[in-house]
Amino acid sequence: MTVKVEASADAIPHNTLLIVGLIGSIVCIYLTYLNTITGLDVFSFFGGIGAIIALIWGTSTIKRLCSYGIGTGVPSAGMVAFGAGIIAMLVGTKFGIMSPVAALIIAAVSGAIFGYLADSVLNMKIPVLVQSLAELSIIGALTIMGFTAMATGDFTFGVLTAGTISIFGFAVPAAQASFVGGGITAVAFMLGGIAIQHPFNAALGPSNTQDRTLMLAAECGFLSMIMMAIISFAFISMGSALLGLLIAIIGWGYTYAQFIDLSKRDAADWLDAKMIVETED
Amino acid sequence: MENIVLSIGVAAFAGALAAVAGAAEDTESNIGSQGDPNSQVQLAPQMGYMHRIFNKAVAGEPPSWALWIALGAGVAWAFMAMNVNPVLAIILGSVLASFVQGVYATTAYLGRTASLAKFGQPVYVDILKSVTPVTTAHAFVAIFATVTICYLMNAVLGHPFPLPILGIIWGIALGAAGSAVGNPYYGKERQYQNQKFGAGVPISASGNIVRYAEAGERSSLDNGWFTAKYAGPASGICFGLIVFFELWRHLIFEHYFGGWGSVIVGGIIVLLITIMARFIEVWARKTYGPYTAPEKKPDEEAA
Repeated sequence: MTVKVEASADAIPHNTLLIVGLIGSIVCIYLTYLNTITGLDVFSFFGGIGAIIALIWGTSTIKRLCSYGIGTGVPSAGMVAFGAGIIAMLVGTKFGIMSPVAALIIAAVSGAIFGYLADSVLNMKIPVLVQSLAELSIIGALTIMGFTAMATGDFTFGVLTAGTISIFGFAVPAAQASFVGGGITAVAFMLGGIAIQHPFNAALGPSNTQDRTLMLAAECGFLSMIMMAIISFAFISMGSALLGLLIAIIGWGYTYAQFIDLSKRDAADWLDAKMIVETED
Repeated sequence: MENIVLSIGVAAFAGALAAVAGAAEDTESNIGSQGDPNSQVQLAPQMGYMHRIFNKAVAGEPPSWALWIALGAGVAWAFMAMNVNPVLAIILGSVLASFVQGVYATTAYLGRTASLAKFGQPVYVDILKSVTPVTTAHAFVAIFATVTICYLMNAVLGHPFPLPILGIIWGIALGAAGSAVGNPYYGKERQYQNQKFGAGVPISASGNIVRYAEAGERSSLDNGWFTAKYAGPASGICFGLIVFFELWRHLIFEHYFGGWGSVIVGGIIVLLITIMARFIEVWARKTYGPYTAPEKKPDEEAA
């Protein structure tokens, strides 16, 4: 069994972030269903917000998991999360309106199996591994589903695989012009996979603070949301995509400025064009 | 016949683009300080060596490059779906992916350095201002060249994978090529020159990186100046050859199994390499065996 070393004392306990993250992201993803009810697609941006909430929760999970001495394994944790999550998400989309809940359950089960294999069969012996990998799989599935809902305005399999291309002005159905067929799932996978591991990986060190790490998680989430908003121009109406892009840019600008302020607060010193400060031996 | 000539031309062109991409990728990661030599940059303040080197700890090079290329390809795909000219779409995709790279670079440097406050390492804001644009510019060159390779494979050679999936695959390959070939130059030949033979491994020498230049203090731009001459071209040749040989496999086998022939042959080649690697491993274990302490002669022990 490995020894637990806390990166820093947390003002917000992990369980609070877990509950808020789980409920918040599910609710936000379901809010995109207003698109189907109203026949509009202006509610698509809620998918991106749901993904950001899941990413903040995921940062806390990675911090908890990595307090057991997993140094270089931080980026791998993100890849594992999204590898398990994308399977759950794609299978989950087959369940119509129940898709987010179905994805959640499938991800929890597959994540727990991965966790059991890593913990007991590969003998990693980390006490929180099963729970953490189950959480990370859920986060992966919800983040990809959130970004998907943001780009296409929907989270059901039929919509995600149906596309049209126009040949000489005629709309022709073509799977390769759809979200899944066009491979945009790969973009959602990488946008989420790097965004989930970056906050803790970048704020790693003895002077790590929770508020700065979580602010960075929100910043990474909004940055990914900007990119999904640009891709969403290909799938949803111009006005709705612009609304999503505007919200993402405002959110990113705010969180980025906040992160720089928090870094200024935590840094040993903030110097501009100065020499190396040598320490006394 | 014309078709074959065109395909061979595309393979050669893609190989040349890949050489440019590999050189730019490695220079980008060395200026930004990413990959395994960065672990010593990270350790240095802890051992009392304050420095003015960038710290672009986004992830390993393969995952982070998978993001930049997949993102560039995905955004380009979206613009092409909106009937934007492919050349313009690829440029727009590459610009946006480079923007994301630049933002990740700044947050990585600020985050890592602020978390080292305990050891007294300050944040140098001028490093952010001077180094980030240079690393982002190199990232743009690499992203643009690689997304163009993916587009040529998809649109001209008729590869069955969509553009972003090709992006993720070639992004990982590009990051791996730059990391494997280029990093020894950045690490041993540049950062660890305080040690004999450029060895950065001994724990007693941890974090003892080169912090002062021929005149003044060494910055990450000086490291890029050095590695652009040696590590960059070496990585470029590596990635260029990978793409070139890879496309020959595609050209020869693409007509079988409805376009999937080259993918199947690729799987067979991976399997063959895995078997070869296994044989080499078993042979090495049998020949050299487990580590044994060198036997001491009696007269040495007495001394």
